[in-house]
Amino acid sequence: MAAIPLILISAGLLLAFKMKFWNIGAYGQYILGAMFSSFFALHISPHTPSFILITVMCLAGLVGGALWAIIAALLKLFWEVNEVISTLLLNYIALYILDYFMHGPWRDPSSHGFPLSKSFAANARLPILMHHTRIHLGLVFGIIATIVIYILIKKTKFGYENKVIGENPTAAKYAGINIFRNTLIAAGISGGLAGLAGMAQVSGIIHMIQMELNADYGYTAIIVSWLAALNPIASFFVAIILGGLEAGGYQIQMTMSVPFGIVGVIESSILFALLGGELFKTHKLVFGREKSHHPIQ
Amino acid sequence: MLASSVRSGTILLFPTIGEIFAERAGILNLGLEGMMVIGAFFGFVAGNLTKNPYIGFTIGMLAGGLAALIFAFVAITLKGNQIVAGLALTIFGLGITNFYGQKWINTKLAVPAQSIAIPGFANIPFIGPIFFNQDIFVYFSYVLAIAFWIILFRTKSGVYLRAVGENARAADAMGISVDRTRYFWTFVGGLLAGAGGAYLTIVYAPFWLDGITSGRGWIAVALVIFAMWDPLYAIIGAYLFGGIDSLQFQLQATGATIPSSLLSMQPYLLTLIVVIVATFIVRAKHIGVPRELALPFYREER
Repeated sequence: MAAIPLILISAGLLLAFKMKFWNIGAYGQYILGAMFSSFFALHISPHTPSFILITVMCLAGLVGGALWAIIAALLKLFWEVNEVISTLLLNYIALYILDYFMHGPWRDPSSHGFPLSKSFAANARLPILMHHTRIHLGLVFGIIATIVIYILIKKTKFGYENKVIGENPTAAKYAGINIFRNTLIAAGISGGLAGLAGMAQVSGIIHMIQMELNADYGYTAIIVSWLAALNPIASFFVAIILGGLEAGGYQIQMTMSVPFGIVGVIESSILFALLGGELFKTHKLVFGREKSHHPIQ
Repeated sequence: MLASSVRSGTILLFPTIGEIFAERAGILNLGLEGMMVIGAFFGFVAGNLTKNPYIGFTIGMLAGGLAALIFAFVAITLKGNQIVAGLALTIFGLGITNFYGQKWINTKLAVPAQSIAIPGFANIPFIGPIFFNQDIFVYFSYVLAIAFWIILFRTKSGVYLRAVGENARAADAMGISVDRTRYFWTFVGGLLAGAGGAYLTIVYAPFWLDGITSGRGWIAVALVIFAMWDPLYAIIGAYLFGGIDSLQFQLQATGATIPSSLLSMQPYLLTLIVVIVATFIVRAKHIGVPRELALPFYREER
């Protein structure tokens, strides 16, 4: 069940990473998505048909996440503000916005002072797909997102332009590619999917909004998309594997009291190995001294 | 209050100076947060086990330096993507300190460091009590900032260092070892990030909490831009942010009517604003950014 948010977030991130828009802000975009959709879950009449409410919540999640990413994209496009720093700082800002709402307007009076909202009504919850599991409709969103991103990257002009911008921004500029528009779209999609993941978490798993939303998926998803070499299909499966690792991490924390940090250690070690190993795809190790072709000795 | 701004600023000053040097050498190490939390944790544990804050601080520094070497191996020797490797280092640091840190949570430091007034200077009205009645680590940071400014702009190794970051190929042709220079300054960056973290848990907040650095590493990355890659400006930036940090604590302690979540948000929001402004100035004046920042150097491609 950790796989669903990872699938959604990493599908979006790889699109942004492909054009070297370093969106590290999925954490904050996820929180904003969860908050936007919770707003509707908490404030719309519980008699609204479920289909309509869920649709509205999905759209709200997409918009919330996209807005948060687009702020960073605009800062980059207008003033060349480094998006790694801006998206990261926006993560902390999102966290404290959530903190504000959970300690103020959204706190359930009967929660005994805990920062929890009211439980969502049944019509604001994503339907479960399989009995006796927590696999919810979010999985379908994940599959759709993966397919859409795949098509975007492989079959459309946008995907091609995206790749050119990532690999050679100067060439992209001279080729007349609209960097402004493409960056906004890529940032919007990656933020939107992170927001949708946040929506899926509150609506499908937690059934309320609270401080602990597992927004760390936003960081894990970076690892997922990188391990998948920015390929959407591969990323779907890597998300399931790392989702399993995360779920296992929670399990051993609860049953064997092994701290969850071990998951971070494993994930970062894999990532280090992968980053280092890239070199050997293009370079060959030669032992011993080759004759130098350099004229000056 | 102002004296505590200096202490809070010192946490940021060490890593900012370290990152300035790494970036000047062309290495963008976004693992600052990870190295800081490693320095904070191992410094705290060593300080507690030896009951000596100075040994703790040293161990914290070394731990940060060692963490930087992992990054250096991946990013310099194996030429991996620096942005992602830096993130990996942060995830690693937060993970490993969470893993080993459970039993230390909420433990207080056995022997905290004492303030030492500098005779003469400490009696200067106003400035004296703020800057010259501090602990030894704060004095160390003053010396470091000035010494590093001199190294960067007034010595041959500073020229070499900048050459490596601006144009690695030319530096290589001059006979400077690009990789060795980058390794060295990445390591120094790690030592200083570790120092910042260790200062946090040994002096500023002498206890251990999971993820105690809470984004200070990222604020330091932002301060590098604010400082325009100059160690002296880093002092101003660090104390400014230290001031915001301690102001926010004071306001929360006095029970101001502003909600605490909005106060806690201030440092991050202000950092974002400052980065926007600083980026604007850097661009307008055409200064600062080392030209080959985050680009790996392949010596064989001539």
